[in-house]
Amino acid sequence: MKRKDWEAVIGLEIHAELNTRSKLFSADRNHFGDEPNTNISEVSVALPGTLPVLNREAVRKAVQFGLAIQGDVQLWSRFDRKSYFYPDSPRNYQITQLEFPIVKGGRLITFVDGDEKIFDINRVQLEDDAGMLKHFARFAGVDFNRAGVPMIEIVSEPCMRSAHEAVAYARGIRAILDYLDASDCNMEEGSIRFDVNVSVRKIGETDLRTRSEIKNMNSFAQLEVAIDHEINRHIGIYESERSVDQETFRWDPEAGTTVLMRTKEDAEDYRYFPDPDLLPLVLTQKEVDAEKEHLPELPLDRERRFCQEYGLAEQMSYCLISDKKLADYFEKALEKCKTAKNVANWIVVEFAGRLKDKGTPIWKSGIDPHDVGELVFMIEQDKITGKIAKSVADDMVAQPGVSPQMIVEANPAYQTFSDVEELKKIVHDVVEQNEETVQAVRAGKDRSFAFLVGQVMRVTKGSAPPKLVNKLLREEIGQ
Amino acid sequence: MESACELHRKLIEGETSAGQIAEQLLAHIRRIEPQVGAFLKVFEESLFEHADRLDAKRKGGELLGKLAGVPIAIKDNINIRGEKTTCASRYLENFVAPFDATVIRRFREEDAFIVGKTNLDEFAMGTSCEYSAFQTTKNPWNLDLVPGGSSGGSAAAVASEMSSIALGSDTGGSIRLPASFCNIASIKPTYGRISRYGLVAFGSSLDQIGPMAYRCEDLERTLQVIGTYCKHDSTSVPEKDFEPISFERRFEKGFTVGVPWQFIEGVPQETKEIFERAVKTLQSLGARIIDVDLSILKYGVAVYYILCTAEASTNLARFDGVRYGLRSERAQTLDELYDFSREEGFGDEVKRRILLGTFVLSSGYQDAYYHKAQKVRQIVINKFNDAFSECDCIALPTSYSGAFTAGAKKDPLSLYLEDLFTIGANLAGIPALALQGGFLPDGRPLGFQLFGPQNHDAELLAIGKSFQSVTDYCMKRPKLGEER
Repeated sequence: MKRKDWEAVIGLEIHAELNTRSKLFSADRNHFGDEPNTNISEVSVALPGTLPVLNREAVRKAVQFGLAIQGDVQLWSRFDRKSYFYPDSPRNYQITQLEFPIVKGGRLITFVDGDEKIFDINRVQLEDDAGMLKHFARFAGVDFNRAGVPMIEIVSEPCMRSAHEAVAYARGIRAILDYLDASDCNMEEGSIRFDVNVSVRKIGETDLRTRSEIKNMNSFAQLEVAIDHEINRHIGIYESERSVDQETFRWDPEAGTTVLMRTKEDAEDYRYFPDPDLLPLVLTQKEVDAEKEHLPELPLDRERRFCQEYGLAEQMSYCLISDKKLADYFEKALEKCKTAKNVANWIVVEFAGRLKDKGTPIWKSGIDPHDVGELVFMIEQDKITGKIAKSVADDMVAQPGVSPQMIVEANPAYQTFSDVEELKKIVHDVVEQNEETVQAVRAGKDRSFAFLVGQVMRVTKGSAPPKLVNKLLREEIGQ
Repeated sequence: MESACELHRKLIEGETSAGQIAEQLLAHIRRIEPQVGAFLKVFEESLFEHADRLDAKRKGGELLGKLAGVPIAIKDNINIRGEKTTCASRYLENFVAPFDATVIRRFREEDAFIVGKTNLDEFAMGTSCEYSAFQTTKNPWNLDLVPGGSSGGSAAAVASEMSSIALGSDTGGSIRLPASFCNIASIKPTYGRISRYGLVAFGSSLDQIGPMAYRCEDLERTLQVIGTYCKHDSTSVPEKDFEPISFERRFEKGFTVGVPWQFIEGVPQETKEIFERAVKTLQSLGARIIDVDLSILKYGVAVYYILCTAEASTNLARFDGVRYGLRSERAQTLDELYDFSREEGFGDEVKRRILLGTFVLSSGYQDAYYHKAQKVRQIVINKFNDAFSECDCIALPTSYSGAFTAGAKKDPLSLYLEDLFTIGANLAGIPALALQGGFLPDGRPLGFQLFGPQNHDAELLAIGKSFQSVTDYCMKRPKLGEER
């Protein structure tokens, strides 16, 4: 298989649940994790006689998202009925937007493997979520708490060329939703879900070949593995002179493979038509402009600001801003220590490394961002050495909430040799006891000087500030 | 029995008590109902309880509502909390509504007596009331005839005075055709005037609840109570858009009535005579009669049966055996649950319309049917606007002829054609008032109707009141039971 001859073409449909207080077409509570069938009323289970009434808050969030991706927010959009039978769909039609979505066009700018990339977005539509099936030993039940939860479906152009790009794009979309506070962005709870369309073509071809679709993934890792799996499968098929069928798959995370849902022949006919129960969604330019004015700082703006204001490298900046809470954490830490590069490094490298096994991000770890800032500040003030700081960081991870000062105070081994007179005496003794080496230093041998430093460090058990030791040694030797 | 307004006055002024009204009404129902079969359920107990509460309220000097003591029958596709809403369908045979329709809430607020639930064609799909899964309703004027549909139970209940007022729903003429067949009046208001919340949907863009009664005053009183803005219905129209209802208002001289003479050319002579007599009466009231072109309405039946079935096919998709209603005992798999529950739950006409609606929406056929029908609907709206630029209202027969014999029409298409004159108002969303036009030589009643521009419901009722003040059809009652 000559993979380098092939190019993948990937398009993503991202379903994001909006974190409004109530559902898209009813006053029922929009909340995850409650007892099944408690956040429902006659509307959520589609009793006869019920009617949908649009939630304006959901519209507002969709408009904000449209503005954030520089899309064209439509002043006139419409809801359509999409018919299909499934037990978790109480009306047996979903209310969505086919012909006239609330946002047309748009783009996402993000960082992929060291380069900034622009991905085109086709449309954003408002729609409601379905309930959830729960399988028991001898029967299945339906939980309608999720039925009617507002979602936006964000449809990209087929503009991605690798699983890597798709994941970067998906993370970028998630970051925008997070910055807007439009969604809980909780992947495990399914508040963001991906459908992906994949096809491949020979490099140089301009037409699209047959695509396959994988539905309903809810993690970036799954997304990446699934896309790679599909790309390889397509190439394999073409390399063996067969042709790809238009098929829809479901990702099985346990098996790590795709499971066929349906082929083109049994594709559903959704029989879309405008929902007569709802009026067209009409917005005024004034309303849209007002939302634009109140947009919060967006990920890309923040990335630019981090580079300019803090002098961070682009990659580091992207790394921080891609998770809003991480970027907030970083800025909070800066309140205690102004050296942004060091603080960023400690957060992104040192602490992230220590927390990796727990799987918790630092903002969720219980470690106060001020403590992180304080730790870096202590290093800079020579209160502790870099080496000790690493041990202190270990302890901070082990006992979140305990400040670095307290950790150092409680542990004599972490305390810096701050008594200069005492240190002078030690230096004096070391010089006296190592006359030959001192001669060598005077003769210009740097390695001999390093030996003397080591001797002092040995006596002080590594707690003396190296800079100070250097200075005192030079003075003692008379250099 | 007196008009609803008169009954209400008597109660307020102490000439009668709510208890008396309830007692007399139930005695009458017991005599008449076995012959007519208008009701699927009569709320005997709750009626007396309600009467006691009302009398206590009156004795305590409390202000009574606008419909205090007025018996109102409700078509059984409108939800009343704690009561069954069957839609005359096996599927919903045991479905108890957990919430009140907005119209019911309004009735409760105004102290109306809710008499019971009336029979209909299953899910309001029919023109004769013969498609009820539970019983047939007879025409009180001649028990061999159908009462019309789909609100046949409501029409028969009012005609036989088992209720002063009844609510029906009108998707393509379902309150006006039975009004014509049963010698009563009814108004299908402007689309959006009365909240649809709690009405089991058939064709959502066409459905309107409407009152039925002998007298326009009673329609007016009812519309005043239930024609209010409702936040649960997105298509509800704000009250400020409507002309307020004026009880004193009568037909004003100088009004122009348009008649689409060409469109109604083909009606039988006896229908034409009754209609022409009604037009002459309007003329005698001072109306100027002009000819208007509504030949577009010849496409009405085709357009209507595409749009209403398309909407119905999705509205009825919720009846799937999963959450409520009939669940087939035979089902072993999910697909069987859907198939068998719907097969056992729905009657032939409902199945026919679901299939038709599914077909016209299916990919490859949408352009030819659904989209084309939408375009024609827009032309219908435009044509009505053109007509209303020249006249204040439009007069039309309500039906081709009078009520037919039960079982006489077996062919669905011939039943669909009964809607020819009524569906224009639903397609255009305009108000339509059905009035009594008199009686055919064989004694069958026959009505006619007036269409008005959107939001001019009050104007139509003013004309109706004037018309009824110079004609006596609305005073005629069928002879039923031993008492007569």
